[in-house]
Amino acid sequence: MNREPLYTLHERIWHWLQAAAMILLLLTGFALHYPDRFPLFGSMARAVHLHSFLGFALLVNAFLGLFYHLTAEKYHHFLPRLDDFTGGAVKQARFYLYGIFRGEPHPFETDPRKKLNPLQKVTYLMLLNVLLPLQIATGLLLWGANRWQDLFEKVGGLRVLAPLHTLLAFFFLSFLIGHIYLSTTGKTPLHLLKAMVTGGAAEEEEVSHYETTKKAICVAEGDSPEGAATAP
Amino acid sequence: MRIIRRFERAYRESRPPREAVSRAAAGGVILAALLSAASAGVAAAAQGAPPPRLAHPAIPLLDAKGENVLRSGGPISTRKTCGGCHDYDFITDSFHFQQGKNEMSPDLLRQHGIAPFNSSPGMFGKFSIIPNRQLTHAGVQDVADCDMSQPEWLTKCGVCHTGGGINEFDLKGRRFGTPEARPDGPLDPSYTIRDRESGKVVPWDWEKSGVAEGDCFLCHVPKASRGARREAMTAGDFRWANNATLSESGIVEKTAEGTYRYRREAFNPDGTVKPEVLALSDPTLENCAQCHGFTARKATIIQPIQHADIMRGTEKAGWIYNGAKISETVSPHIAGKEKMDYPWDVHAAKGLVCIDCHFSPNNPGRRIQEDPAKHLKYRPTEADPAVYLKRPDHNFARGNIPPETVNVTRHYTMRGCGECHDAGKTHDFLPYKSVHFRALACQTCHIPEVHFWAYRSDEWGLLMDTGTSRITFRGIRGDIVDPDSEVTGFRPAYVPTPAKDGHLEIRPTNLITGLYWFDRAKGRPVFTWQVQKAFFDHWSEEEGWVYRDEIVKAFGDADGIVDPATARYDTPEKVALVRSFLQKYAGISDPELRIDVVPWAMSHSTVPKEQAVKECTACHARKSLLHNPLDLDDHLPRGVPVYYMGKERPVADLSGKVPVFDNRVLLSSFYILGNSRVLWIEWLGWISVAGALLFALVHGTLRMVLGGRP
Repeated sequence: MNREPLYTLHERIWHWLQAAAMILLLLTGFALHYPDRFPLFGSMARAVHLHSFLGFALLVNAFLGLFYHLTAEKYHHFLPRLDDFTGGAVKQARFYLYGIFRGEPHPFETDPRKKLNPLQKVTYLMLLNVLLPLQIATGLLLWGANRWQDLFEKVGGLRVLAPLHTLLAFFFLSFLIGHIYLSTTGKTPLHLLKAMVTGGAAEEEEVSHYETTKKAICVAEGDSPEGAATAP
Repeated sequence: MRIIRRFERAYRESRPPREAVSRAAAGGVILAALLSAASAGVAAAAQGAPPPRLAHPAIPLLDAKGENVLRSGGPISTRKTCGGCHDYDFITDSFHFQQGKNEMSPDLLRQHGIAPFNSSPGMFGKFSIIPNRQLTHAGVQDVADCDMSQPEWLTKCGVCHTGGGINEFDLKGRRFGTPEARPDGPLDPSYTIRDRESGKVVPWDWEKSGVAEGDCFLCHVPKASRGARREAMTAGDFRWANNATLSESGIVEKTAEGTYRYRREAFNPDGTVKPEVLALSDPTLENCAQCHGFTARKATIIQPIQHADIMRGTEKAGWIYNGAKISETVSPHIAGKEKMDYPWDVHAAKGLVCIDCHFSPNNPGRRIQEDPAKHLKYRPTEADPAVYLKRPDHNFARGNIPPETVNVTRHYTMRGCGECHDAGKTHDFLPYKSVHFRALACQTCHIPEVHFWAYRSDEWGLLMDTGTSRITFRGIRGDIVDPDSEVTGFRPAYVPTPAKDGHLEIRPTNLITGLYWFDRAKGRPVFTWQVQKAFFDHWSEEEGWVYRDEIVKAFGDADGIVDPATARYDTPEKVALVRSFLQKYAGISDPELRIDVVPWAMSHSTVPKEQAVKECTACHARKSLLHNPLDLDDHLPRGVPVYYMGKERPVADLSGKVPVFDNRVLLSSFYILGNSRVLWIEWLGWISVAGALLFALVHGTLRMVLGGRP
């Protein structure tokens, strides 16, 4: 039996570190943007220091993640095919907007070789190649306002960088909400979350895929799923 | 010794031949004094104590003919007395003596954004909402264009603006009293004055008044009497003004005829004044304080009103330069002083005097050695004490305090805070130090509050029964002359001002709001005498100013009294009435009522780090002190254009009961983290978050309702 985990230990550590950094960055960021409404960290100065530290932690983690995915040849998970932008994305969107309410199976089940569905690939393409680099760049320039004042002023200073950084943070928060919600669309609401904690098992996923496909066929043909063939 | 020799040489070179005898005596005294001081200094230095300051040698007081006043009995001529050793013309060609007279260039005004209706960037030529007067332009041909002539300016402003240039020369540069000094027509502002009763422009008798030469004593004699000088200047007795300044020194006394007699006992047998009596010295705190604002080393009684004048700095910005603790103040009654266990000004408490920062720019001991144009950091040829003693530059080092523009080409000559304090080595609590230091003047955090009162408004657009403006103050409950009034102080407003390198920085300021009439046809403010014509039927010695009936009907209370507490332009009809009267009685074709909000930046009343603003949210919260809505003036009319620094700008929020300052437009180039919002970003951001939440909520609910996956 193949017990290869869906998410390797490296991936899970990377994911949770990234998640923790991002959530804390959002919290410290809000403490800076709305200091009188979210006085979460005692003082703004503390929130500033923490935000800067977390920013660098996220940056280091992002590079470690990049290094891991490149050297372990896992980057292909994030590379969308042309079809992912069209047919695949439509199929996945149809599932989320219609099929999921009818109990249809996921059109693209995950396994250790195919961890992301087409919509996820498109989302991560934007997130990792546009949003994250922009956020890191604006964050670094803001952090470096003391050190590289000329450059800081040349790119518009606080007046340009701070609102842009804030807008991107809002988009990250929106992503986070969507991401957490969609993580409940597994076999059970906590199934995918557990998989990201324990690693999950490919075999279980395959059984699940088999079971749901069979159930869907039976429903479509008016048969009872009981007594149908068991998993291969 | 080299310095002493140079001083002696410089002294000898500058000595006028015809005063050889008295000068020789004086020279000997100088040398003896210097040698004695120097030897005392050597002895003191050997013991490790600081050497004593060199005392000014004994000098004779000379009259305009160069004769010793003990013999002639005439008024002292500083041109002769001081000018024998020091370059009088060089010294008086500086802004304390000229107040813009030597800057009367339309090009200069244009280059520095000063409105063309002014004739100079200094008070001698520039319009100010206090006191809504302006020096009449040279070459004026129409009596309607005459406001304040040069003699009138001197009687009103000459007490502080210490003679010399403005009081010796007419607007064309001819010295009064010389054959070439003749009026160019009947309205020449250098030779006329407007008669109060008849309103006519009449000649001024310079022969009778004489000229007030530069009053060196006002700044260099510790016992100088500004009060006596004021009396002489106000009476038009310019000739004796410098003697009047010495009236408390024991050197002179006033006679029944209004002249001054010299007291023999104050003089040495050789005719020089006893040095300990005249006590010539660097300007002391008290000297500067006479005109600039309440200043003292350690005073527990604050008296910013002296000789019927409110000291300028206190009047305009509420600053008190005093080394005593606020908690020790005996008078006036400072609200909450018990908790103010810190000095009025930390620099005063440390013993700094005015000239420590506002020094003579060519003083070798203090000058800033830099010449960016020539990449020189030090010029040994100019740092010669003898040159300095001969020609001390009286364009004193200064910063840039809006709205003062005098000496417009030489702002930022003083040492900035950063040249004494290395702020980068302190302020450890502060993230992003250099960003803060660039965006904020040091005063922003170190003058968090003004604990005194200051001008709030001066309205010359609606005249009181005194024929003058209504003035209101902030920071006090009650009258400013009532010792029982409670001084509550106020938080300043914050405005952007250009720093030395031209970038904008935020700094604290008091705001004085003016309400005045502007003559749109002539592009200048309406003169006070013209506004008086609109409001008053007549003036007489017995009755004073008598309002027109229509004015009483419009602005008076039930008893027919125009009450300063309530009279205001509260309807468009009242504005229209005065407008029509200005047209009818003063001949102003297109008058417009305007509000002018004028910032008076603060530099004194500085507090130490313990009392400075340190809490981030003081500025960075939504309710930031940087947007402090300072109350302007509760009498301000609505629907009137509001001006700020010469431009119409929306800086007054007139929507509430009390109009307040609104600096959002002024600070729009600053992004204050935690306070500033870019509206479309806030909307887009929150819509995106709300969209994600809504999607999760609706989708999750549908999943539960419709079945399918859990």
